[in-house]
This record gives sequence, structure tokens and C-alpha cells, in this order.
Amino acid sequence: MANALPIGLSRSAVEELSRQKGEPEWMLQKRLQAWDAYERIPAPLGRRGDLGTLRTFANFKFQQLSPYVPAPLAPARGATTLPAVIEQSLQEALVDARAGLVVQRNASVVRTELDEQLKKAGVILTDLDSAVREYPELVQQYFMTKCVPVESNKYTALHAAFWSGGIFLYIPKGVEIEDPILAQIWIDSPASANFAHTLIIADDQSSVHYVEEYNSSFEGEQPSLLDGVVEVYVKSAAHVEFSSLQDLGLNVWNIANKNAVHEKDGSTTWVMADIGSKVTLANIGAGLTGNGSAAELVGVFFTDHDQRYSISTLSNHDAVSTNAETQVKGVLTDDSRVEFGGMIHIQPKAQQTASFLSAHILLLTSIWADRKCRAEAVPGLEIEANDVRASHGATVSKIDDEQLFYLMVRGIPQDEAERIIVQGFFEPVLQRIPLENLRARLRRSIVRRMSGAYETEADTWVDAQERWEVEGVDEYAVSLDTPKEAEEILLTDY
Amino acid sequence: MESELIIKNLHANIEGKPILRGVDLVVRQGEVHALMGPNGSGKSTLANVIMGNPKYEVTDGEIWFKGENILEFSPDRRARMRLFLAFQYPMSIPGVSVANFLRRSLEAIREGNKPLEEGENPTGKATKRKSIPPGEFRKMLQEKMRLLKVDNSFINRAINDGFSGGEKKRAEILQMALLQPEIALMDETDSGLDIDALKIVADSVSALRGPNLGILLITHYQRILNYITPDYVHVMYDGRIVKSGGKELALELEEKGYEWLKPVEEPGTREGHQYISGNVVVPLAGTRGDVNG
Repeated sequence: MANALPIGLSRSAVEELSRQKGEPEWMLQKRLQAWDAYERIPAPLGRRGDLGTLRTFANFKFQQLSPYVPAPLAPARGATTLPAVIEQSLQEALVDARAGLVVQRNASVVRTELDEQLKKAGVILTDLDSAVREYPELVQQYFMTKCVPVESNKYTALHAAFWSGGIFLYIPKGVEIEDPILAQIWIDSPASANFAHTLIIADDQSSVHYVEEYNSSFEGEQPSLLDGVVEVYVKSAAHVEFSSLQDLGLNVWNIANKNAVHEKDGSTTWVMADIGSKVTLANIGAGLTGNGSAAELVGVFFTDHDQRYSISTLSNHDAVSTNAETQVKGVLTDDSRVEFGGMIHIQPKAQQTASFLSAHILLLTSIWADRKCRAEAVPGLEIEANDVRASHGATVSKIDDEQLFYLMVRGIPQDEAERIIVQGFFEPVLQRIPLENLRARLRRSIVRRMSGAYETEADTWVDAQERWEVEGVDEYAVSLDTPKEAEEILLTDY
Repeated sequence: MESELIIKNLHANIEGKPILRGVDLVVRQGEVHALMGPNGSGKSTLANVIMGNPKYEVTDGEIWFKGENILEFSPDRRARMRLFLAFQYPMSIPGVSVANFLRRSLEAIREGNKPLEEGENPTGKATKRKSIPPGEFRKMLQEKMRLLKVDNSFINRAINDGFSGGEKKRAEILQMALLQPEIALMDETDSGLDIDALKIVADSVSALRGPNLGILLITHYQRILNYITPDYVHVMYDGRIVKSGGKELALELEEKGYEWLKPVEEPGTREGHQYISGNVVVPLAGTRGDVNG
């Protein structure tokens, strides 16, 4: 069994990690090159006058972390006892029926399950350590090469040097996986640096719904780091729906570099929900490198306390007739700060392109409640082709005093009025999230976070929202005659 | 005993600029008062100040409702005491359905003034609100919608979002019907409506009229008063009520306009404060004779 590495990041720690894992030489060399790149590449610092999230991260005490903390129990395949909190969260996971499951705890994948039919069909779902041994040619070809190259930035280099655990998913040609595959990444060790890696290869005409949750469950001020990378290869006419929920504790610093590269007619739907962590640095990319490829990104975030986010998106059009649509909505309260940068880049050969981006950020500061939250949203557009439809818009606005007044004049207390407006603000973007449980979970989390003590009220709202949604306009007349019991059942079922 | 809204010598500023300069007015349950006056005379400000809009600063005077001075009360608390304002420009709140909003509003109003008296708010502690079963709520809402001839599709639309001018005004009256206020302020409910829409709105108000509802109908046209006959008419000019009378005053205004009512100001003095109850004008005892320019 592998042992935790001592505190501190170094070249020798990289070697020790690779040795413990018994890795082939090529992986060791890849790690060492990455380490050198990490030492060489300066930390991104942002630009003068921004809100300083990148600089904050540059000052993070990386050297006070252990780069490898494996789960306490040996990651025997199949059955491993998981801490109650993780078991509990699996019960409440974002997906009910699932085709596969991977649980990574700190540096180790502790559970992997995959539907037998899918195994027979040639689907591979395993931890990345095993993939290195069992599918070296695939890993060599795809791991941090084209999608998220090692040297994308300082933190991807660090990730490549120390990655551990990891999720490897391969879907063969023409296989369409109906039920989602769920991955949970758990951090329950303080002062640990965790480098979760997700590598998805969707071969021609395949499709998959993949759901990733990031959680933590350790106490105390001593921070841990999650420096994760997600790489998605979408082959010809394949479709990948990738949803993630980041709900890490306020003692976790989080870096996410995610990208998808598309071949001809490949498409992705990304849903990124971020509500946790102390500091988050996220780069989300869509590489539209195949003719006719398309990417849709829906982003939702909510920050409070002194959370700091820096989120960048890039729609990179580099082929004919590509489409991208990015829609981001976020709400800030307390002293939190968010920087958003949304970039559309249309390369010279990307004719007949359509690309849209909208980012709207709402600050919960008003005449009623003066808070210090701040945000900036910077959209960018770089067009080098001439047959293009593109638009972008980004706004940062304070919650409207008059809207609050309107609701209050209807008897609703100020804090509840805020929550109603926030729900309404999020609702259109939540409607675009295909995964029902994720929608519900976000509603619940956001409402709870906005008040602390409003458990029952949060439920009332969420239930109400779901119920109206379920019943809709057409059933209105019918439901008038529905006996009360039936409605109660609907409520508790939810 | 019927509820009374009593406004005494009310002064209010917006951004340091005085708008209300000593308003005195009493509205009781069961009475319909029309408050008329030219644009900019302070009518809408009065409605906003009565509801506690923090944009306006009250510099002097009192507002009493049901025997309590409500000046320090938050707008939601005033509403829970069953004061209502039908807005001149109802705010749209995208993404929040009328049904959801109204149910929460009704639940809050039914709580009444209690939670605040017990000191549960505004610290954010859970208000254990009694929820109204959805079925029951729908029945109530549908009954009101039938009464006001409002289309069913209303309830699943976002509040005032994409509503026409007429729809917004009708949505306000629907809320009024549902929340059953004791005193309702209706701010320019007739403005921006064509004659058909005006009739619908006026009919709706008439349908709600009764001994349990006092109305302060703010308008600067006499038009709506052809459909809703007020018990009393007041004229506001330059931040004060300068004349009060019966319904015939509205007709006089229609003929003569407002100019003849313009108060003659003498430097250093002010017209005596008046305590006006309906058309009975009484001198108000013990008011401060402050200087007002």
C-alpha cells in the first residue's frame, strides 16, 4: 500500500510518488517534465486593477501541503468501506439511476462500478492509475496532450507532476449510454494537495451523460488544495453532456482546468455549478476543432462570506460551421468577489460560425442591506473570419431596490424578498440544466446559503418551484380537483 | 372598530429635496377617497412614504395605522398590518411566477404583525410560517381571478414580466383582491389605460369595494371617477392637501383645472395645518408651526 508523502512539493516528491505507484518510465518522465515546467512558468497574476483573485492564489502556501494523501484503506477494487459522510452523499447524489460510479477520496479512487452490459459493449471506466498500466497507448495519446496540455499554465503543470487517482472513461464507437455516470471527488484530509484528473474519450457516434461532484468534509482552518483537470475528447458526431457541482468547504482552495476538443459534428453540453471553496480558479474551454461541432456551456455560481472566484471561459472556433453558446449567471453576497472573463475566439478558417456569450452577475447589496461584495465581468471577442454571427454581453448589477420594495410591500420580509429575486434571476439558467436533481440541489443550496437559519422556508420554496414546474399550465384545472393527499404525496416524493 | 390611517403633518424629502410639505389626511375602512392633483404635486410620494419606501426621507410628521405609529416599521410589516399599495409602475420580477409569489405573499400577510412583535425578525431566524396548502391556495386564487375576469395563464407567468400596461394594473388589483387589505392605496391605477381597460379596472375596484376596504385612489384625471364614485375628494398641490370636498369637487376640477387652487405662500408662514377627515376640515391642535419655504 502506498504511503502519504510528507509536506512539501519537490522534484524528489514527484519521483517518490511515481516510484510508489510503480509507474512506467514514460509517465515518470512526463511528471518530471511537468515539474520542471511548474518551476519555470510564472504564476498568473491577473491584470492591474482587477479584484486580485489570481494574486491571492499565487500567494497560497503550496509548500505546506502534502502532495499525496491516499485514502486510509487500501483501494481494493469493488468494495471498500467508505466514511459515513461519503456513503450518505452517494445516497443523495445528483443521479438516481446510474450506469457507472467512481469515487475518489483524496488521492485514491476507492470505488468503481460499471454496468455489466456496458462493460461487454467495450466501455472502460476505471481509475487513471490502472489505465496507465492497462491502456498505456490511450493514456499516452490523450493524457494532457491536446486537450489540456501540461504547460497550459503553472497549475496544470503542477497537476501533471502530481496527478493521482483519476478517472478514465472510454466509450467505444456507436455506444450510447443512457443513464448518467457519476463521479464523486472527496477531500477529507487537511493540508493535502489533491490532483483529480478526469479523462473522457467519446468515440465516434457515442454519447454519455457524465456527472461530477466535488465535496469536502474536514474541519479546521488548515486548507487543502484541489487542482483538478478535466479533459473531454469528443470524436466524430459524439455527444457528451458533462455536469459538475463544486460544493467544497471554505477551507479548500480549488483550481479547475477543463476543456473539450471536438471532432467533426461532435457536441458537448457543459453545466458547471460552483457554490463552494474558499478560492476558485476555473478555466473552462470548448475547442471547436471539428467542422460542424457545437458546445453549450451553462454556468451558475453563488458566493458568500469571503469567497473569491476567478472564472474564465473560452469558446475557441477553429473549424467551419461551429456553434457555441455560453450562458453564465452568478450571485454574490457578503464580502465575496468574483471575476469573470468570457472569451470568444474565432480563428481565420472558422467560417459560418455562430457564437454567443452572456454573463450576468447580481450583487446582493441594496438600500436595505449594504454589503461589500464585488464582481467584474469582462467579455472578449476576437474574430478573424468574416462569415460569422457572434455576440456577447456581460453585466454586473446590484439587486434592484425597487424590486425589493415591491415584494416587501406585499408583506414579504427583506431577506426573503432577496431570495425570491435571486431564485427568479437563476431560474432561466436553471431551466437549461438537463439534470433535474442538480437543478433541485442548486435551488436548495442557494436558498439555504442565503439565510443560514431558514431550513423550512427553503424547502417550501423549492417544493413550490418544483411543483409548479411539474404541474404546469395545462394541469391547472385538473389539479383543482385533485384531493389534498395527492398533493402531499407529490411534495414528500420530491 | 374600523381601521384608520391617519397622516399628520407629513414632510418628506427625496435626495434632500422636499416633496411633501405637511400632509394631513385620514382614511377609514369602508371609505373611498380620491386624491387628485397635478403631476409632481407629491401624490405618488405620499403613497410611497406611507408604505415606507426608503428612497424618501421623512423629516417631520406621523403616520398612524390601527393605533400604531408605523413610521419606523419596515414596508413588509406595514403590509402585514394590511396596508396595500397598488403601484403606478409595478416592478417586473423575471423568473418568479405570479402563483409562487402570491402564495408566499398571502402566507406572510396572514402571519400579520406577530413575528416582528415577538422579535423573531430581522435577525434572520426562522419564521415558522404557516403554509397554505397548494390546493386551497389555488381555489382562492381562481375565485379571485374569476371575479376579476383574469385569464388563467396569468398565474404561471413571471410577475409583470412582459405584461402589457393593462395586465400589470389588473395584476395589482388581483393581488389586492387576494390579500384583502384594510386600507389600499391605488397609485394612478388608471394611467396608461385605454377606455376598455379602464372600465375593467374600475369594475374590479368596484367589485372589491365594501365596508372592510378603505381606498385612497390617486389619480390626476377625473376620468376614472366616472366609474368609481368617491366618498371624498382631496386636491394635492405642491406637497400639501389644499382642498377637500365631496365627489362634486372632482367635477369642479375637471372644469377649472388645478391652477386656481395654487396656494398663496407668504414668506415665513404657512397655511394652517389641517386635520381632514373626509370633507370635514378641522384645525389640528398642537401642531408645530415650522417655517417652510
